[in-house]
Amino acid sequence: MSAAEAFGQYLELCRARRERSSLRGEAVRMLNDEAFRALPAAIEAYRGKSLDCLASCRPDVLFAPDYGVNIDALAMYADVAASFRCGIPQLQSNLVVVANDCIHIPEHLAGGTDGIEVYRLSEIPASLTDEVADVLSRTADSRNVAMLLNGLLLNDGIYVRITGTPERPLQIVNIFRSDMPMLTARRIIVHGLSGCHGQVLLCDHSQSPEVNHLNSQVADIVLERDAHLELYDIEESCASTHRVFNCNTVQEEASSFNVNTNFLSGGTSSNTWHIDTVGPRTETHLAGLAIASQDQTVDNRVILRHSSTYALSRQLFKYALYDNAHGGFGGRIIVEEGAEYTDAAQTDRNIIVGDTAHMEASPQLEIYCDEVKCSHGATTGQLDERALFYMQTRGIPLDTARRMLTQAFMADVVEQVRCEVLRQRLHILVEKRLSGAPGSCEKCAGACHGQTSNE
Amino acid sequence: MAQPDKAQCRAGGEQPDENRAVIDGATTGEYKYGFVSEIETDIIPAGLNEDIIRLISEKKGEPEWLLDFRLKAFRHWLTLEPPTWAHLTIPPIDFQALSYYAAPKAKEGPKSLDEVDPALLDTFNRLGIPLEEQKQLSGMAVDAVLDSVSVRTTHRERLAEMGIIFCSFSEAVKEYPDLVRKYLGKVVSYRDNFYAALNSAVFSDGSFVYIPKGVRCPMELSTYFRINAAGTGQFERTLIVADDDAYVSYLEGCTAPMRDENQLHAAIVEIIVEDRAEVKYSTVQNWYAGDSQGRGGVYNFVTKRGLCRGDYSKLSWTQVETGSAITWKYPSCVLAGEGSTGEFYSVAVTNNLQQADTGTKMVHIGSNTRSTIVSKGISAGHSQNSYRGLVKVAKNAVNVRNYTQCDSLLLSSTCGAHTFPVMEIDNNTAVVEHEATTSKISEDQIFYCNQRGIPTEEAIALIVNGYAKEVMNKLPMEFAVEAQKLLEITLEGSVG
Repeated sequence: MSAAEAFGQYLELCRARRERSSLRGEAVRMLNDEAFRALPAAIEAYRGKSLDCLASCRPDVLFAPDYGVNIDALAMYADVAASFRCGIPQLQSNLVVVANDCIHIPEHLAGGTDGIEVYRLSEIPASLTDEVADVLSRTADSRNVAMLLNGLLLNDGIYVRITGTPERPLQIVNIFRSDMPMLTARRIIVHGLSGCHGQVLLCDHSQSPEVNHLNSQVADIVLERDAHLELYDIEESCASTHRVFNCNTVQEEASSFNVNTNFLSGGTSSNTWHIDTVGPRTETHLAGLAIASQDQTVDNRVILRHSSTYALSRQLFKYALYDNAHGGFGGRIIVEEGAEYTDAAQTDRNIIVGDTAHMEASPQLEIYCDEVKCSHGATTGQLDERALFYMQTRGIPLDTARRMLTQAFMADVVEQVRCEVLRQRLHILVEKRLSGAPGSCEKCAGACHGQTSNE
Repeated sequence: MAQPDKAQCRAGGEQPDENRAVIDGATTGEYKYGFVSEIETDIIPAGLNEDIIRLISEKKGEPEWLLDFRLKAFRHWLTLEPPTWAHLTIPPIDFQALSYYAAPKAKEGPKSLDEVDPALLDTFNRLGIPLEEQKQLSGMAVDAVLDSVSVRTTHRERLAEMGIIFCSFSEAVKEYPDLVRKYLGKVVSYRDNFYAALNSAVFSDGSFVYIPKGVRCPMELSTYFRINAAGTGQFERTLIVADDDAYVSYLEGCTAPMRDENQLHAAIVEIIVEDRAEVKYSTVQNWYAGDSQGRGGVYNFVTKRGLCRGDYSKLSWTQVETGSAITWKYPSCVLAGEGSTGEFYSVAVTNNLQQADTGTKMVHIGSNTRSTIVSKGISAGHSQNSYRGLVKVAKNAVNVRNYTQCDSLLLSSTCGAHTFPVMEIDNNTAVVEHEATTSKISEDQIFYCNQRGIPTEEAIALIVNGYAKEVMNKLPMEFAVEAQKLLEITLEGSVG
């Protein structure tokens, strides 16, 4: 199927809905309008170059299968949301559940008592309409087909407005449950106001491991002056769930953005992190780990554009690839003319274990300015034979020694998590994953469903 | 996403005026080798079609199979588009407006130096080519190529005694057709890319080297290319074959005269390395880069690739790139033989409005293969300098080792330095490392030198030379001197 056909099928599908004008909410309509306006040209210009990401992670490949779309915005699976808690012991969080593409927000979050306000995109108060439009216009990318398709197919989304320093992190749990193949469009818009300090945790799960699912997910993030945001992303779904995730972020002066993305299991996961630091003295930390086995595929692309002075950025990505897993990493740091005193570093470390595992790394620098300090490093290799041998001489079986070393290898990334409770939990999740916890949610290491509320 | 106005974020980062002035002065050296020599040339009409290719082939008296090869390449070329993936802004090239063949007018073949056109000799002398008697004693055999046709070959007899063939490509086609036919296009197929197809269709001349089994070539083999006649493209083709246990060090140096018109250079270098053989290929490239306003300059679109076919074979590329308006060049190694080794050492300097997109590909097919990549980029003025590399480890290549280092040095706030490495690994025993840094010459370093009585200008030269030394050390002695000189001309105002 050609790229034009793969994308075009959704355009046709949504045209009918558009004529019925059944979309709810100004912001949703705006995204839909934008998609109709820009998509034909973006599809026309789309070049599925394999250099941009792994061939199997290209949007035209992932969007090509015939998925069902909840075009009439039927509210389904409310019972799932009620029974589901992604349990992280001791983590007191504000919980938002997204069942397929239906959003369940506890009522108290709309009030804004705890320094945070969460709204459904379809129910934005009139006073905030302009603000949402402004955020969306700043993160929009009229050439990104995957993002435009998300806007096209979107029924509803989440608008997070962080106004102060909320006590509890916001946890957004995406659950998929369906009897037939389905595409879900999910969107999170985060607006960090001046001086705020927020934590957002995204969890992806699937409860229907036998059903194909494409998760089209977009995060639009704008951090105002001196805003601080920590974004944690944990993907623990199953082989039949594929994900296309675009995170577009704009950072204003003296803001900081910490990302920690963790792929523990899933089908194909294609993630693009597009971050623009437009104000001076910004700080950006990206850390990611991926443990992939069987036919799992993980691809992370980072486009980090520094266009103002004194920007600091650090990237650390670590992959462990087993069996026939495929890993891709592409990091591009762009230092624009005039972005003096930028200090950017990028590290990518990969371990290949499987006989047929495949890794592609492309750490890139584009620098248009001389007063900068930039570095990148990428390595791909194996666990240290001598360390393994040493542990065996101490009576540790080879398998255990391998697991321990891999866990230690991943610990660097987990240690970057600032939320103490979550960090402990991630260490355990990584350990469980490495000791062979199966990829399906039914038996997932989190063992989250069926628990009662953790609040 | 919304971009801020560039002018707004220009705050800060101003260097002390004195250093700025010295760096500016140091980076605006004029091109030393710019001149046009007055030699009668034989140019065929501009344009490219099958008749022109037949005409080129006929003028060179080529056999039928070679004409077929050219025509096949031309027909394939017609189906291709120029590549656009490089980080380059290439003005559209009208391939029909170029003349594809220029040769000095045929005269009786010269038997001694006295019979060679004095103007030609003068050209070579000004370029510093050691063609004369006393320079022959310096131990170099030179196959000088002036506008596509080999003018004179030295040291042939001495090399012939050892069974080494070192001659122009057209001679090789006549005298050793079987060898040429056996190896031509085996490493760089005419289907490889746009410029390789173009070269395969219209290549005019070049060098052919064959080192027989067990022979160690006693001298550095050298060839100089020049573009001379106005409005002609140059399409060189070099083929080097090192048979089992052979060794050769091959030098290629380029200087081109000053021109206002852009000139196209699309060369192919093919190298085949058999069991335990070693080839060392060194280049100093100083084509005319255009003036400080970006007028003129050579477009250098080159496909260079070596096939380490034999077990424990070794191929080493060393390049010093200072010239050309646009460089598109990726000398590569296909490491097919068990335990074979590939190396790539590069210094690329860009100044004014030059653009360079250069790097290497290391394709590991055989087990226990190793590769090393050291790339040093230096950008000044408004130039754009990119490193682009690929390290690929095939599924069945066990115990592969690669180390890549690519550093960039920035000498102005308006230039660009970019790195685009790609690693594709399909085997779980491979160890692949890449590291890169980008920085400018720090004021601390300059201050330290000043303190020790070294003026800023010399300090910059010192630091740049130290930075490039790792690569310069890999060049053969004679070449290292020339390369050093080129670095100075490109970057030191006092010398240029």
